[in-house]
Amino acid sequence: MMTTSWRFAVIMMLAFMLFHPQTVLAQVRAKAEVDCQPAAEKLQYDCIIKLTNSRTNEQLAGFDLMVGADMPSMPAMHNVRPVKADEDQEKGTYKARIVLEMYGDWALHLDLIGPVRDRVVKVLRFERDRVGEPTSAQTPAHQRH
Amino acid sequence: MGNAKVLELHGLTKHFGGVRAVDGVDLTVASGEILGLIGPNGSGKSTIVNLICGLFPLTAGRVLFGGADISELPPHTRVALGITRTFQNIRLFGQLTVWQNLWVAQNSGEQRKQNFLPRWLGGSKGARAEIDRMLEFFDLGHKRDELAGNLAFGEQRRLEFARALAARPALLLLDEPAAGMNAEEIEQLDSRIRKMRQNGVTVLLIEHHMELVMSVADRIAVLNFGQKIAEGTASAVQSNPVVRDAYLGTTTGA
Amino acid sequence: MDDYLIGVLSNIGVISFIALSAYVLLLTGEISFGQQAFFAIGAYAAGIATALWGWPLAAAIVWGAAIGAGSAILVGVPTLRLHGLYFAIATLAFAEMVRILFELLRYQVLIDGEWVGPNGADGFRNIRYIFENDISSLQFMILIYAVLVATLSMFLLLERSRLGVIFRMIGEDETLAGLQGISVARHKVLAAGIGGALAGIGGGLYAHLTTYIEPRSFDVMLGVHSLAYGLIGGLGTAFGPLLGVLIDIGLLEAIRALAGYRMIIFGGLVAILLIIRPRGLLDEKLVHKIGRMWRLILPRGGRVKLGPSGEKI
Repeated sequence: MMTTSWRFAVIMMLAFMLFHPQTVLAQVRAKAEVDCQPAAEKLQYDCIIKLTNSRTNEQLAGFDLMVGADMPSMPAMHNVRPVKADEDQEKGTYKARIVLEMYGDWALHLDLIGPVRDRVVKVLRFERDRVGEPTSAQTPAHQRH
Repeated sequence: MGNAKVLELHGLTKHFGGVRAVDGVDLTVASGEILGLIGPNGSGKSTIVNLICGLFPLTAGRVLFGGADISELPPHTRVALGITRTFQNIRLFGQLTVWQNLWVAQNSGEQRKQNFLPRWLGGSKGARAEIDRMLEFFDLGHKRDELAGNLAFGEQRRLEFARALAARPALLLLDEPAAGMNAEEIEQLDSRIRKMRQNGVTVLLIEHHMELVMSVADRIAVLNFGQKIAEGTASAVQSNPVVRDAYLGTTTGA
Repeated sequence: MDDYLIGVLSNIGVISFIALSAYVLLLTGEISFGQQAFFAIGAYAAGIATALWGWPLAAAIVWGAAIGAGSAILVGVPTLRLHGLYFAIATLAFAEMVRILFELLRYQVLIDGEWVGPNGADGFRNIRYIFENDISSLQFMILIYAVLVATLSMFLLLERSRLGVIFRMIGEDETLAGLQGISVARHKVLAAGIGGALAGIGGGLYAHLTTYIEPRSFDVMLGVHSLAYGLIGGLGTAFGPLLGVLIDIGLLEAIRALAGYRMIIFGGLVAILLIIRPRGLLDEKLVHKIGRMWRLILPRGGRVKLGPSGEKI
């Protein structure tokens, strides 16, 4: 039995290595500011997302931005349908209305699709009447100064 | 082989709390012998079997197998050395097929090597042939892919017997193999036990069915209250007054 | 393919690994509430390997699996002496301990002017491998399923092998297995190691799928789910836990009306199934029946063909 598994493991690893592409340094590294407010309907939120390139601090415009969400407390088990954010007139600003499954901490996935692909993750606490910082949020020491 | 001692029990003792289940039993089984072990209910027969196969630790005494002390060895090591058993109340792997029940019981050192390689690398050929022979001998060939849990009672008994032989034991411990069998089945059992002995297996037979024990055993040892009260040939044991007392429950020779 | 579908399928694929990991231990009769720890260990190990050390993904996943297996064996050696409830509690305690250790773990490296790495309770962001290498979400989903198919084929081989049968016999009656000459302890530790490796692979894939992990994702909720998948899907075959995942993430997810109540319904479903079908939907008996029908349709060469009542044809 062991020999069988080993053969499989070796073949799998080879296949894996073969179609593994080389790392390229990303020219763009997205950074996002997200501000969400409860919308009229229950569990709906309107989010304003400001994207900048953290390398140059330039606003990132002209991307297709998909906003998805995952619950960190139940990884991979809540699948919120990603919505496409609309680009605002203001450069680098996007708007999206998301629909969640329950109140609590959600990790928003902001997927940039355009000249480069990138993802920014923001964890926020969504409540009935407000959106705030997640329970576990602490500012990391070295980012404070 | 000759008259070498396969199994020696020296002062075998097991206490459960205050109960002296087995109390200083000395017993020797010679190679190729069929030794019957009888006694009233609760006399410690099954406990002796459990101690020989290592199910729980001894309170005192030693178990020697082929001259080597095995008192401290775990059960699976004793199987590899060549001690296997059947159970008073049948214990099979009901979720496995008949064939699988025998396959996983092939645990002598040589069989392990054979079974280690998968089939497509040429492994377990001999072991598989052995299972087929075993199924044939115990008349279970037509049930090989049936789940053991679905077998009829008699078939389960036969499968258990077959499984005890699968690891090519030198010493076979049979714990009331005839329980619940009809006359015809007991006759088959009798001939199978004899056949085993011809193949060089030493047998320790615990049985309530006196006819079977008297017919098949070379020697008989009698237990009462955890102690050995008699040992000898069938006729000697039968005429022993102490044995009669133990079975009839009287204290004076009635 | 629609992004949402890719997302759901990727999640199903990733969670399948931890379900299979709990299933290996269920085979040997042990209930572990701690498989999420090895999932977490695999996720952090693989994430650190690509994001901080610049390893290729394949090596990182293998590394995560190895660390997962190694830690599972280390934990298994002392805890597998315990049985049943005691083992379950020991694994739970271990998993919580691991989670809290990850809340304390800070290991960050300045990469391209940004701090990258595990940052305690704030989590580990920017595991950006798939973006830096321009792997689309569809490609990554295909990758997940390639690994899953390979894992499943190994499982199917395992279940037919002697080792697989030995796992099952230990699960059914470990005392009896010992009396058949099986070293129960050694095989249980082996099963724990296999389970740890599978959870590690799943964790590594999950970390790269979401690009973001944090300690609380790996709490007992995940462990309970991974156990439940095997128990509802069935313990007769490796497809059982996968069926469990499909029922939870696929079916219940699809019924949008249930959204907020899904966990309650899932819990109820588990409870009901455990009563009416204690070994799950695809239990040993059903799998045996299916296998038997299969053999009747396609008898293998050299095998004795059996009629419906078992007679030789």
